[in-house]
Amino acid sequence: MAVATQGASSGINGQNTRTLLRVSILFLIAAAAVASRLFSVIRFESIIHEFDPWFNFRATKYLVANGFYKFWDWFDDRTWHPLGRVTGGTLYPGLMVTSGVIYHALRALTVPVDIRNICVLLAPAFSGLTAYAAYLLTNEMTTSSSAGLLAAAFMGITPGYISRSVAGSYDNEAIAIFLLVFTFYLWIKALKLGSMLWGALCALFYGYMVASWGGYAFITCILPLHAFVLIGMGRFSNRLYVSYTTWYALGTLASMQIPFVGFLPVKTSEHMPALGIFGFVQLVGFLQYVRSSMSAKQFKTFVITVIVGAVGIGLAGLVGLTSLGYIAPWSGRFYSLWDTGYAKIHIPIIASVSEHQPTAWPAFFFDLNMLIWLFPAGVYLCFQDLRDEHVFVVVYALFGSYFAGVMVRLMLTLTPIVCVAAAMAASQILDTYLSAKKPNVEEVADAGSTDAKPVKTSGLRVASKPAVGIFTFVSKALVVGGMAVYLLLFVSHCTWVTSNAYSSPSVVLASRMPDGSQHIIDDYREAYQWLRQNTKEDAKIMSWWDYGYQIGGMADRPTLVDNNTWNNTHIATVGKAMSSSEEVSYPIMRQHEVDYVLVVFGGLLGYSGDDINKFLWMVRIAEGIWPEEVKERNFFTSRGEYRVDAEATDTMKNSLMYKMSYYNYHSLFPAGQTVDRVRGSRLPDQGPVLNTIEEAYTTENWIIRIYKVKDLDNVGRDLFSAASFDRGQKKKSSKKKGPRVLRVD
Amino acid sequence: MRLLSSLLSASLLLAGSFAAKKTPTGRFDEFHAKSLSSSPVKLATSSYGSWTTAPRDYSAAVLLTAMDARFGCQLCQSFQPEFDILAKSWVKGDKAGKSRTLFGVLDFADGRDVFVSLGLQTAPVLLFFPPTEGPHAVASPDPIRYDFTAGAEHVQAWLARQLPDRPHPPIKRPINWTGWIMGVGIFVAGISLLVTASPYIWPILQNRNIWASISLILILLFTSGHMFNHIRKVPYIAGDGKGGISYFAGSFQSQFGLETQVIAAIYGTLAFCAISLAVKVPRIADYRTQQVAVLAWGGVLFILYSFLLSIFRIKNGGYPFSLPPFM
Repeated sequence: MAVATQGASSGINGQNTRTLLRVSILFLIAAAAVASRLFSVIRFESIIHEFDPWFNFRATKYLVANGFYKFWDWFDDRTWHPLGRVTGGTLYPGLMVTSGVIYHALRALTVPVDIRNICVLLAPAFSGLTAYAAYLLTNEMTTSSSAGLLAAAFMGITPGYISRSVAGSYDNEAIAIFLLVFTFYLWIKALKLGSMLWGALCALFYGYMVASWGGYAFITCILPLHAFVLIGMGRFSNRLYVSYTTWYALGTLASMQIPFVGFLPVKTSEHMPALGIFGFVQLVGFLQYVRSSMSAKQFKTFVITVIVGAVGIGLAGLVGLTSLGYIAPWSGRFYSLWDTGYAKIHIPIIASVSEHQPTAWPAFFFDLNMLIWLFPAGVYLCFQDLRDEHVFVVVYALFGSYFAGVMVRLMLTLTPIVCVAAAMAASQILDTYLSAKKPNVEEVADAGSTDAKPVKTSGLRVASKPAVGIFTFVSKALVVGGMAVYLLLFVSHCTWVTSNAYSSPSVVLASRMPDGSQHIIDDYREAYQWLRQNTKEDAKIMSWWDYGYQIGGMADRPTLVDNNTWNNTHIATVGKAMSSSEEVSYPIMRQHEVDYVLVVFGGLLGYSGDDINKFLWMVRIAEGIWPEEVKERNFFTSRGEYRVDAEATDTMKNSLMYKMSYYNYHSLFPAGQTVDRVRGSRLPDQGPVLNTIEEAYTTENWIIRIYKVKDLDNVGRDLFSAASFDRGQKKKSSKKKGPRVLRVD
Repeated sequence: MRLLSSLLSASLLLAGSFAAKKTPTGRFDEFHAKSLSSSPVKLATSSYGSWTTAPRDYSAAVLLTAMDARFGCQLCQSFQPEFDILAKSWVKGDKAGKSRTLFGVLDFADGRDVFVSLGLQTAPVLLFFPPTEGPHAVASPDPIRYDFTAGAEHVQAWLARQLPDRPHPPIKRPINWTGWIMGVGIFVAGISLLVTASPYIWPILQNRNIWASISLILILLFTSGHMFNHIRKVPYIAGDGKGGISYFAGSFQSQFGLETQVIAAIYGTLAFCAISLAVKVPRIADYRTQQVAVLAWGGVLFILYSFLLSIFRIKNGGYPFSLPPFM
């Protein structure tokens, strides 16, 4: 804004001052973007957050230790026991390679830096770059010099982006959003100039994006759509032809270099629009060429035949190849974006992830605050000129908001365009009302009478009259003052949201003591540290898949399943073991060589993200594979309630998960006062009895409970009779229960 | 009444066992012939008895339902056509009766006593009677009960699991001829309408204002949580438990239909104010009108934004920011 109000002090000096100002403002914005993401480091410590980042961190360490080629061929036998995972071929390497390159560069400059600190600070560093990319993209959209800076500022601090890029959130999105915005900038640039160089650069960054994040499909769909809309509007040009063809040819080749992507760009339906538009662009280009050497009438017939023929052949080919199985139909995750009921029925593992839930309106406001209502205004302003790049904003805005509405996680892809559009609207308002020039009343009246109707039929109705400016100081002060209030509110909102909602590492929990001081709950690390120090190097840990990456990263122990949910059956096996009775679970655990079982239990502390609350998903996923043996219905009481207290169904009470969660829990409370603080229910005084596993460790706040799977009895009894024998020595009364027989499957 | 019913069921069993004593094989052929002509077979109390008594050398899937409008059984109404499709495609796919499976329907009106004797409180219930004789015999003659989800495919999969090693004819849904003809007709009519009306439609299609308003409406719809309503099927409005109406759901993760419409309207008005301030007001040539317009739009913007913040505080209790007048 300072730049905009600089006035018209012309000359080289003014130009230089402006550039200097602009650069320093951009640096300040980048600094603000980085600073606002450091809450978690300051409050807790420099630590990797959540779940997926732990895998990325582990992979990065492997890359730094073993070099790129070993990383590329990495077969990981410490996950998905006993299957293992072809990790090198099933991940997006962009993130790890980026940090690896930074690490080696800093080492070469003799900066002694730990790889963990690079990983922790990568996301904030890239957020500064994202702000710069948003500045570039916005400058392509409008002539106003303040819009770009505003967009950069919005991009830097808006919570919608901060949510996935705070320090320690070492995830693919950390660099992918920068790549997304920058690829779009290069695309606009290529389209405007019709330049092959910019198109190739766009393809290069598209390739980098493909190497970094599965969300690249968003670019793969938006760019062809933009091209298609432009052609539909009759705006085909050689610029479009050159830029699209260059981007598609080079970009597809680049994306196919990633082993995980491989031949998907020519085989799956997500990529078909891009291929189809590529063919369409060739066709339209050919027609344009033919047009120059034919009479108008001949040309019309020619066009109709060619278009009908090409579309028919193309569609028939697509349908035929799909039904013959050469082209895979839409992948489940992608398909669930269109048919919103699909995932719920067919893929419980996708539906179970909270990131894949639809977005309620408070989430939009929470993540974007006032940008959410400036956004439609900005999109409307794009209709004023409606140049090619403005069409891009409109297309992106429509699809971005649809996707963000269907899936919470895709708020991330909407945020850049919201920032750009909102900045356009805000800068238009500020530019108009901050202008020191005062229109002369007589002149305006004259102008109004002379060119009575400056007709612009294609434009917007509101913009048909010429702009005159603002007359009174009061109007200017009011509007500028209002905007300043909103902007200040926006900044405080962003800071508040970042500090309260997005800066928790979720590995370490913070709570307040009655006197207001902060209390750190560090059960996760306590448990993982225990595993690291007290178990064998290759002890297999069974847990629900959410904790697989953390166990691999922090405890360094092999796991059965983890957050890379590539094998649904294996996950269902774990689900079955958790949701069945001990007679069924024990053989499963023996077959998978499980040594320890880890459950998360929040009942004592009131921590709601625990395994009992996730339990129904385990049941559902297991039921998908073994509908005869695991039935969701049996976990509900006859009145259809999901209960954990004395009223719980027998299936529930006998399930391994229930037993592990509540084992010995009653001993913490006086008789009759055992309470589960998450589900707010009173538990029976008689706790569950374990026969085939034994408690190994429980953390300070009982959040993590670890059980050891018993070895076979050394005198050949089955574990149930052995356990009841042991109990019989202590307590005579429990003898009447009698031993149960181990079922052999 | 109870005595009577137990007597009845006892006599049924007796009758059944008499019938069974004839020849189980003959029984299946007879029933199968009947089901070839119309499947599923409509049963009554007596035929139900003769179908299901042990010993059986065949399997039977019997749907106990209550189709009469008096009972208002929604699930029965919706499940019946699915079951018909399943039974028809099964019998058609297995004309020779290799799977030795029968499909029957017993309506409450025809078989009140059966419902009483089974102690059924709810309908529909699908019972599967496994064979007690022959190669696939099972130990217990008791029927297996199916827990309802939906759709013929689910029932087919369940039946297939009950009938291992026997043929499982796939479901063949009848082709919806009227639907296809209607679809094609509408498509052709639409195309011809477009072609004939193109001189009138074309200017509309090229009108930027229309496209702008369509885009804005869609964006407002999506950003105010419409897709959430669509996917979660939230109620339009709910009571507050004290006889009043609560317009806003009290939690961050939920919302009502009306609530999203209010929010969309607020967003729309705010955006409209911003557009007016940015585009319209600087084009007003009369300075007095302009002053009034600035005051009006700026005031509406401020008050509505304050209102929006106050609504957000309902959703998120700890939210600290507010603007006057809705503090």
